[in-house]
Amino acid sequence: MPAEYALSNVWVGLSVVAVLFVIFYYVGYVSSRKTTSDEDFYAAGFSIGPVTNGLGMAATWASLATFLGVIALILKLQVPFVYLWIQWAISIPLLTLLYGTSLRRMKAFTPATFIKQRYGKPATIVIVCWMILIMVMYALGQMIGLGRAFELLFGVPYNTAIVVAGLATVGFITVGGMYGASYNAAFQMVVMTVAMIVPMGAIMKAMGSSGWWFPPLAYGDMVPEMVKAIPTFFDMKYDFRWYFALIPAFTLGPVALPHLAMKVFTSSSVKSARWAVVWFALFLGLLFSGTYVVGFTGNFFTATTGRIIEKADQTILILNVFYNPTLVAAFVMGGAVAAGLSTIGGNLMAIAGLVGSDLLGIIAPDMDSSKKMKWGYAALAMGGLLAILMAFKPPKFLVTSILWAFGLLATTATPAILLGVWWKEANKLALIISSLFCGFLYILISPHVIPSVVIGKGLVAALGMSGGMVTIPLSFAMFIILSIAFNRMAMFKSFAPTLVDKKVIDRIHGWGTDYEESRYNGVTVPVIISIVCLGIFFWGLVPWT
Amino acid sequence: MKEKLYKKEITLTIVFSVILLLMGHSASIFVLFPSLQQGTLWGFPVQYIVPILLGWFGIAGVCLIMTIVCNKFDDEMEEYVNSLPPETETDSESVNE
Repeated sequence: MPAEYALSNVWVGLSVVAVLFVIFYYVGYVSSRKTTSDEDFYAAGFSIGPVTNGLGMAATWASLATFLGVIALILKLQVPFVYLWIQWAISIPLLTLLYGTSLRRMKAFTPATFIKQRYGKPATIVIVCWMILIMVMYALGQMIGLGRAFELLFGVPYNTAIVVAGLATVGFITVGGMYGASYNAAFQMVVMTVAMIVPMGAIMKAMGSSGWWFPPLAYGDMVPEMVKAIPTFFDMKYDFRWYFALIPAFTLGPVALPHLAMKVFTSSSVKSARWAVVWFALFLGLLFSGTYVVGFTGNFFTATTGRIIEKADQTILILNVFYNPTLVAAFVMGGAVAAGLSTIGGNLMAIAGLVGSDLLGIIAPDMDSSKKMKWGYAALAMGGLLAILMAFKPPKFLVTSILWAFGLLATTATPAILLGVWWKEANKLALIISSLFCGFLYILISPHVIPSVVIGKGLVAALGMSGGMVTIPLSFAMFIILSIAFNRMAMFKSFAPTLVDKKVIDRIHGWGTDYEESRYNGVTVPVIISIVCLGIFFWGLVPWT
Repeated sequence: MKEKLYKKEITLTIVFSVILLLMGHSASIFVLFPSLQQGTLWGFPVQYIVPILLGWFGIAGVCLIMTIVCNKFDDEMEEYVNSLPPETETDSESVNE
């Protein structure tokens, strides 16, 4: 017998969501009064403390998918998808370690602020375009999810839902700027975590588990029955290459996500940014572990009750409608909405930063701070309206899984940022060529463009894991080899890093005025890295089973 | 002094990157060494619960150590930078080259 999600009283759901939106608007309004410059608008005045920032980072990273998509995929793929999800918790710690604190030291608004200083304008335009494309894909996915959530919650047509939910969302994000996005995200993380975990305790108790007092880790007593019902649930299923392929596509991609980096940049200091990461790991681990228990319980529910969850992405909602009172089920839906909103907030702030600060900084470099802030507001609102308009009839190529887009970002932007921060020889022309060539190659060899020209097959190809294992190492190797070559050819002299470019590197690492030519300037290690990358590239080309 | 600081920065970055990767991708170890897929912890198969624990408390623990160590390194760096003579006009000019 199929189980469906339907609130017995729609007004309860409406009230929960309305109360949440009132709080979001209030936070946005209070935040708008603190916003007086571009530093306030794009980086919350570089003032966010570690706990608030840790919560905000976790909320921005955990999207609507944490409540809907992931649980559906755990229901479908079982444990391997849990492993895929676990590794996302290292994205912000790695980002902070590898370049976040360095860019915070230079007071960057987005990673592209650094790209502009390090590589100049043409390279910035290339990287900004890739980042905007990915942010639009990201925001569009969240907006569509939000529309569907409202459709599901209130029974209104999708188009009406997208207008109401979209405008209400873009409104409070635009009003609040980065202050609002940060404080709202912190509050949204609390709502998400409570909505994910507390009701699960009641569900587990109803299912007979003695671990209801701590759902994230205490459902071990349900395992024997689960294994009896689904003997393959805990099987690792795939070979080592499948697990290795998670690194290039899903670890290195999110490292370059501008909306995550911008959270690090809002910190009140470099040290505070690192403390925020500790809180982030604790908060996100709690939420993600809640997601795993919902995925586990969804499988348990279908296996032991004989009921079918036809719409797997509604698993958490169906479980709550089935076992919990209407008010609790409505609050869980509110948690899912909060998850979507926090990510849209981050995405729109990133689009605003990339357009209003980085691109506009190229067109009008002498614009004053207050004008930059006004353009930021305009870019933020326009980005939001664009996402709403596209969500009516989304272009097919843009609604490809955001997981696939992570591979595109790892191919096009991650090498530019990491090598730019850690290697003085990184060459401007080499960056443009490797980013464009490998980026378009990644798109071409995916199953979403020409299905007959594809690396890998099935899920690994659709998620960009197999394609990423080819193009990401190729992009790193190409960038390194071309940089070494171009820097030694007289005809490409104008693209070689200047002394000013090199001094940027020493300065963002904290050396102040102390410049040393040999620092971050070796050739041996980059050559070894490129050889390893080429090995991974050829490994990725071996047919996928 | 500055050579020592430079080496320390590179070492810290490599060591913490590798440890973070191991924490986030510990499931791969169970695939690489299938003999480890034996036994249970808190009722769960170890290959399931260990990656979840490392992906939560493991990463948080590494981040805590990373924060303490890197913040201390920043203090050492700041101490070195503060010990440098103030920037001269020639230095400022060379930045604008």
